[in-house]
Amino acid sequence: MQGVGFVIARPIVQGLASGAAVGLVAVGLVLVYKSSRVFNFAAGEFVTLGAFGTYLADFWLPFGLAVIVGIATGAIAGLLTERLVVRPLSSRPKVTILVATVAIAFAIIPIEIIRSSKTQAFPARPIVHGNAFQIFRVFVSWQQLIIVLALVVVGAGLAYFFNRTDLGLATLASSQEPTATRLMGIRLNRISMLVWGMAGALGGLAGVLLPPLNLNFFAGFGTTDVLIAAFTAAVLGGMTSVPGAFVGGVLLGIVQAGALANVNSNKFPGAPSVAVLAVLVIVLVVRPTGLLGKEA
Amino acid sequence: MATALEPEAASPEVHVVPTKARAGFRPTPAGWAARSLAVALPGLIVVWYVHHYAPVRADFLAGGVIIAIGALSLNVLVGYTGQISLGHQAFIGIGAFTSAYFIGESGQSFYVGMIAAIVVGAVQAVVLGLIALRVRGLYFALVTLAWGFVGEQSIFQLKSFTGGGAGAHATRPGGFTTDRMFLVFCAIVLTLILLVDWRLVATKAGRALQAIRENPQVAANYGINVKGYTLFSFAVAGVYAGLAGALFASRRDTVSATDLSFYLVALPYLLVTVVGGLRRRGGIVVFAMLFVLGGEYLPDLAKSLHIKFIQENAGNIIQSLSGVLAVLTLIFQPDGVGTITAPIGRWLKGERFSMHVSAGGGAEGVSVRP
Repeated sequence: MQGVGFVIARPIVQGLASGAAVGLVAVGLVLVYKSSRVFNFAAGEFVTLGAFGTYLADFWLPFGLAVIVGIATGAIAGLLTERLVVRPLSSRPKVTILVATVAIAFAIIPIEIIRSSKTQAFPARPIVHGNAFQIFRVFVSWQQLIIVLALVVVGAGLAYFFNRTDLGLATLASSQEPTATRLMGIRLNRISMLVWGMAGALGGLAGVLLPPLNLNFFAGFGTTDVLIAAFTAAVLGGMTSVPGAFVGGVLLGIVQAGALANVNSNKFPGAPSVAVLAVLVIVLVVRPTGLLGKEA
Repeated sequence: MATALEPEAASPEVHVVPTKARAGFRPTPAGWAARSLAVALPGLIVVWYVHHYAPVRADFLAGGVIIAIGALSLNVLVGYTGQISLGHQAFIGIGAFTSAYFIGESGQSFYVGMIAAIVVGAVQAVVLGLIALRVRGLYFALVTLAWGFVGEQSIFQLKSFTGGGAGAHATRPGGFTTDRMFLVFCAIVLTLILLVDWRLVATKAGRALQAIRENPQVAANYGINVKGYTLFSFAVAGVYAGLAGALFASRRDTVSATDLSFYLVALPYLLVTVVGGLRRRGGIVVFAMLFVLGGEYLPDLAKSLHIKFIQENAGNIIQSLSGVLAVLTLIFQPDGVGTITAPIGRWLKGERFSMHVSAGGGAEGVSVRP
């Protein structure tokens, strides 16, 4: 017998780690939504590009630099998306921008598939190999620990940025009162670039951290595996709340890991995706403001 | 300029009063002859080409027709109802697997499978429509995205229903078993759907949907049954998708979950709808065919030019380019590339040739009688 502790602790440990990575993407979605009221469906590809950036840079550079390259790849993708697609469409309906971000993902994925025509899946390298410690007979790997630490560090950094710096205040102001903010001499375009760059960097970071949990990654995994979970996490947290997105990501990760562990996948395949749909519909119908959101 | 996705988009088209030039103009017999020739000549070339190079080409053309039907289903949701769907692999796939289940497992005829696909497709669409009554706009897009992945990762993997990874078998309808005859069958279905769609937007239901798309509250005040018509439009989209699914399953004899992924179905169909032009049936059908033919002929072209890279990756290159094309369309030609061909369409209908986009009063879009 593995014991009750094992049965409960294993999904929590696994869900905490993968959910923390999803939470990073969800924060990127929330930042973009707060600043420009746009649902960014290209966010999944920021994740994949981050993973690819690290994988390719690892051939040439020391691994530490490759990680930075991965994060930078995501950030550059975010900046290009803002500059080339979102800004020309900024006066259009939000649904148009949504479709445009979907189209971006659709333009990027085939390029990744071409790159991966010989090997379907790419091996992903953890930052630190091996297990850190054991709790209720569940091994906790260094990678899982690092992901949760990354979430804490990013959360603290964002809290400092929004509460203590002028630029953070300007970002918050531009999301609440764009016109007044502009009259105060703050350039909204730059704030928008900053937010998209941050969202891209968060996606890239998730792309560096998440694949080693599954040992490998494949073309388009950000869109097919991460994107809907990140959106659901953001909605669960309230869509406009950065802490809410963190909490939503972790909660959703645990729900998904629990569904995966406790449902027989032969009789009932795809339980995690059903869990995501259930959480999404329940939150949207019962409590559209989410856990920590102030508006619908 | 109004965007196709924008609710207000249709309003300039509604208030079009026939101008003097338009009302008084009648083409001369020579003009009619030129117009007939303009229709007949490309048609003959297509028929000759298919006749000569079938059956491989016919199979691909059938694939294009199926994409067109799926995109028309999306057009009902995105174009007429104003609800975006990112989970059309579930819409198409449920139809495909239902049809395959009745044909392959129960040994029924194709037509039984097709009717079952229509019914089940409509039912799942109406269930989503019930959610759409509560959740609108961007958030509903998320629900459809999640629904698509439930289909892909859960429903399509059920061994008893879809045969798991091995896929399910479905035969073609009797008398239409060759590739060429199956293309004819697909074309018949497409023609029927185009007729139904045309009558749908030209009648009371179309006007009701347009009013709901622009403003549900105002529509309700005018006595339009908002809930009823929203669910009705979802049912229509489900019927189209069910038909597309039944044809999808029969085209290749087997259908498996990997054929019906987000990437291979939901994304291309949405982009075909957007690039072809929302509420422009002709544009959608034409772009669906171009999308398929591009993937089919690019390898030949690359081979003759000795570009090995393009030859090997033609399908992916076409997909990537259509993503870029979709972004460019949204930025520079918001009503879809159909607006470029709209003057030709109006000319063929017997009007004077004019490049004005709005002059025709929605030659293919939502046409409302004054």
